[in-house]
Amino acid sequence: MSDPAKNSADPARVEAPEIPSDDGQDVRQLNFLRTIAARLTLILLGSVLLVATASLVAYFALQITLNYQSRMADVDMPNIVDSVQIARQSTALVNGAFRIISARTRQEHEAEVAEVEQEREAVESIIENLESRSDLGENTQNIRLHLAQLSGHLASIRDSAFRRLQIEESLMLLTAELAEINRNIESDLAQSIDDQGFYLVEGLRGLDETPAPLEVRASEVEFTIYHNLTVVNQQANLAVLLLDEMLVLNDRQFLPPIEERLFSALDNARRAYANLPASTRMTSLGASLQRLERVGIGSSGIVELRSEALLRLEQEQDSLAMARDASSVLDSEVSSLGALISGNALGSSEAARQSAANGIILLFTINLISAIGAMIFGYFLVWKSLIRRLTALSGAMREMSRGDLEVAVEVGGNDEVSEMAQALERFREYALEVQRLNLVEKLAQELDAKNESLEATLKELEKAQQQIIAEEKLSSLGQLAAGIAHEIKNPLNFIGNFSEIAMEFGKEIEELLEEIDESDAREDIREIVADLGKSMGKIRDHSKRADNIVRSMLEHSRGGEGEWRETDLNAVLKQYVELAFHSMRALNTGFNMDMVTDLDSEIGLLEVVPQDISRVFLNLATNACQALDDKRHRIEGFEPVISISSKRLEEDAEFVLRDNGPGIPKKIRDKIFEPFFTTKDGTKGTGLGLSLTTDILVRHGGSIAVDSQEGEFTEMRIRLPLKSVRKAEEAAQERV
Amino acid sequence: MNSCFRPIALACHLLFFASLGAVGGVLAADDSVIRFGQSAALAGPTRELGEGMKLGLDAAFNEINESGGVHGYRLELVSLDDGYEPEAAIVNTRALIEERQVFALIGPVGTPTSTAAQPIATEAGVPYIGAFTGAEFLRDAESLPNVINVRASYFQETEEMAARLSLDLGLDTVSIFYQDDSYGRAGLNGLRRAVEIYGMEIREEVSYPRNTEAVKLALLDLRRAGAEAVVIIGAYQPASTMIRWARKLNYSPYFINISFIGSEALARTLGQDGEGVYVTQVVPFPEDASLPVVAEYQAALRRINSSATPSFVSLEGYLAGRLAAEGLRLAGPEPSREGFLRALKTSGEINLSGFRLTYGLNDNQGSDQVYLTVIDESGDFTSVDRIEPR
Repeated sequence: MSDPAKNSADPARVEAPEIPSDDGQDVRQLNFLRTIAARLTLILLGSVLLVATASLVAYFALQITLNYQSRMADVDMPNIVDSVQIARQSTALVNGAFRIISARTRQEHEAEVAEVEQEREAVESIIENLESRSDLGENTQNIRLHLAQLSGHLASIRDSAFRRLQIEESLMLLTAELAEINRNIESDLAQSIDDQGFYLVEGLRGLDETPAPLEVRASEVEFTIYHNLTVVNQQANLAVLLLDEMLVLNDRQFLPPIEERLFSALDNARRAYANLPASTRMTSLGASLQRLERVGIGSSGIVELRSEALLRLEQEQDSLAMARDASSVLDSEVSSLGALISGNALGSSEAARQSAANGIILLFTINLISAIGAMIFGYFLVWKSLIRRLTALSGAMREMSRGDLEVAVEVGGNDEVSEMAQALERFREYALEVQRLNLVEKLAQELDAKNESLEATLKELEKAQQQIIAEEKLSSLGQLAAGIAHEIKNPLNFIGNFSEIAMEFGKEIEELLEEIDESDAREDIREIVADLGKSMGKIRDHSKRADNIVRSMLEHSRGGEGEWRETDLNAVLKQYVELAFHSMRALNTGFNMDMVTDLDSEIGLLEVVPQDISRVFLNLATNACQALDDKRHRIEGFEPVISISSKRLEEDAEFVLRDNGPGIPKKIRDKIFEPFFTTKDGTKGTGLGLSLTTDILVRHGGSIAVDSQEGEFTEMRIRLPLKSVRKAEEAAQERV
Repeated sequence: MNSCFRPIALACHLLFFASLGAVGGVLAADDSVIRFGQSAALAGPTRELGEGMKLGLDAAFNEINESGGVHGYRLELVSLDDGYEPEAAIVNTRALIEERQVFALIGPVGTPTSTAAQPIATEAGVPYIGAFTGAEFLRDAESLPNVINVRASYFQETEEMAARLSLDLGLDTVSIFYQDDSYGRAGLNGLRRAVEIYGMEIREEVSYPRNTEAVKLALLDLRRAGAEAVVIIGAYQPASTMIRWARKLNYSPYFINISFIGSEALARTLGQDGEGVYVTQVVPFPEDASLPVVAEYQAALRRINSSATPSFVSLEGYLAGRLAAEGLRLAGPEPSREGFLRALKTSGEINLSGFRLTYGLNDNQGSDQVYLTVIDESGDFTSVDRIEPR
């Protein structure tokens, strides 16, 4: 183990370990500051520091920008919105004032006043908002001042309009009263003038009166009455007309002349009424005239109220004009405030932009420094001291992995890489040693394996030799048997034929004996002839058996000569099992059995030599029947069952014949297919059945297998290829 | 109805009515009542006319309600007094439409009042049915889709007067005594057209102020002009004063009054002096029960007031009420103002138990019938075909 280490010893390596040690003393001896870990940590710390610095710079730059932005959003923008709002509200206030002036009823007036008040409060609160947000100094104070002026005008408009509406309500009532007075005066005067005119003509005042004489009815007094009545009528109508005119008048300047004419009309009417004789003065007319005067020129009469209303309207218009002025001054104040706020906003925006720009420059600088630093560090630490050495190390490793363990690992320095190199060097040394040991062991193993295979071959050869010998033996035995059989066949024919003839003779003797007179001798002769017949029968039977054996042997050696035909083997199987059963039954009347069939019709037609295959089936079935019969004799109540089944497999058809007979003892199971092996005694078997069967199946390219359990069952499993082997078979035959 | 659904149902109804209102829809006060409004003189010198119309309408509505109403609706009448003054008629009409939410206005009395009230109703799309006036302006069916008249026009009445004076008496001049307002002038205009048809001339036109009895100077003018026949377009009080003074002065021209005069009141105020005074009528003779509608009217009148006597005015009110009910019946179970008006104008002849009315899209006057009556020596009216020369 120490050899390779010596071979590759590096004089530069002070600590090259002769004996590897597992303790970490070597690692601890490294100068910590020179380790990669330390350097990487330093770089990492540096990067963290740089990132932190960059973040701080970015943070502060953004913070400043955000501060300006939020100043824009929270102060400047709302200020702009508010100042626009103030300008709008001041216009709304002036419009409100106009609406107050235009209000037709007190409800409308109240609604408008409430709305204007709401708007005024809204402006106040907007100004408060403005002031609370930032100190805008004089501007808001000025705005407040002008708003107060505007409010003052609004208040005077409001109060005046209220009073004016009260007046107009009174005027409405007076208008209605005027109409009523007018109706009453008209009604009274129309009747009076009509009566007086009629009296002047007819001298009649009532339907039941007699007419007054001319000097009475047409006197000066009566005419004066008529005249004054018409004057009252005329002047009263004029007064009503003038008052009506006054009610619709809109220009205050035209009031005095109308008023003057009104005074004179009322005066004339009063005077004419006074000129009427007391007896003809209708009290209702007098009252109406007084009411007319009161409604017209009395205190709170139409003249006074209309004049005040018009005056107030004028004043309101003036106030409205002043309110408009105040509003426009307010607007200009708002404009200058807007300019101030816009200036602030622009300043904020500029500052935000500047701060963002500064931040960008700082960040860019820091990033530049970081990038350059990273490049320098990368070159010196990573490239020079790490990558190059690691490349060398990996080169060494690659060499080792290719199996070249001869080159020493040499990487300088005093850090993890050099440590790794040392470790690798040690590994290389170990590997070198191990490689040598492995080579020897491997060679030994290969030798062993070759030995084993040689032995196995030898054994196989021996086996083959034995097999060849056995086959030779069998072959010569077969030829011998064939020869013997051929030679024996003729004498057997003779024996058979002549025993038949002898039996015929026996019968003839019996018939002749019938014709002979009865005697004891005849009986004796009859008995003898009978015995003779029995003997002859036995000779014939045994000669037949011998003949069968011989024929079988001949067939065995000759092989099949039948024709190949496509055959339904399911049917054949069933037919021959039944045949075997019936044959058995014919011999043993007590024999009975159940037959279970499970045949697969998928098998279809197979090309075989039917007479050969049917012999196979017959042989097997006969064996099964005999076995079952045996068992039946031995076991009380035994119920013999033969089950036959077939199945189409991938390349073969499988036929199974199973009986629940006594089974085949294990020790003879291998021998049953050998020729002349039989368990049957007497005349039952030739010992060639299964041997013949095997032969036939092999010729068909098939096979037979047995499975059995003693006392339980025997199962014969036959396989025949679905694809005929006839061609190959015939070719083989021809070659033979 | 479950109480918690009521507000929703109410809201649905309001929406429904609001949408219908936009096209002149239903204004039933509640589910089962249809309310009609009347503004008429129930006080003052023409009160008998307003009261007569109201009586007839009440009789008709009572009769209809007692027989189960129209499509299950009860008919209700709200009457307000306007004293025959236009200003009051305006106030009343507004109140009926806006505050009382009437389905239709019915039985207003007088031309000046109708002149003032009808534009309000037309603007609001509220039917204006059976006005007790024959003024021509209400017969303008195209401009006034909401107006339905029952009676013949003043022009038709004055034409009948001119026909009788010309054909029966062979006169070639006629004088007129009229109330100095839109009613009187409507009659004056009617007469001016009528005399042209018969080749006559108007000899003297005199007038008196409304709601006064200042008629005597006018009478003197008539006498001075030598008027042989005087058509009176006035109210019963001044007319009867004028006629009585004429009798007193032994001045006896033929006096023919227009239907608006208020026949029974005229006969009563004239007393002995009424004999031979003619009045044209636009409804059948109210005592003549041979006409089924008059018999029904008399029965209905007795049902609400056993002491009431039949009169031309209340018969006219009754006919207006029956017509309104028929219009509702024709309009179907969910009456709208438009449907009501359409039903009346498109249903062909409407037969109110023998009194036949025909309307069309350009014809809003149901009857063209003018009947002539005269006051007999016992102060009662008699139906006549012609004026008998004295």
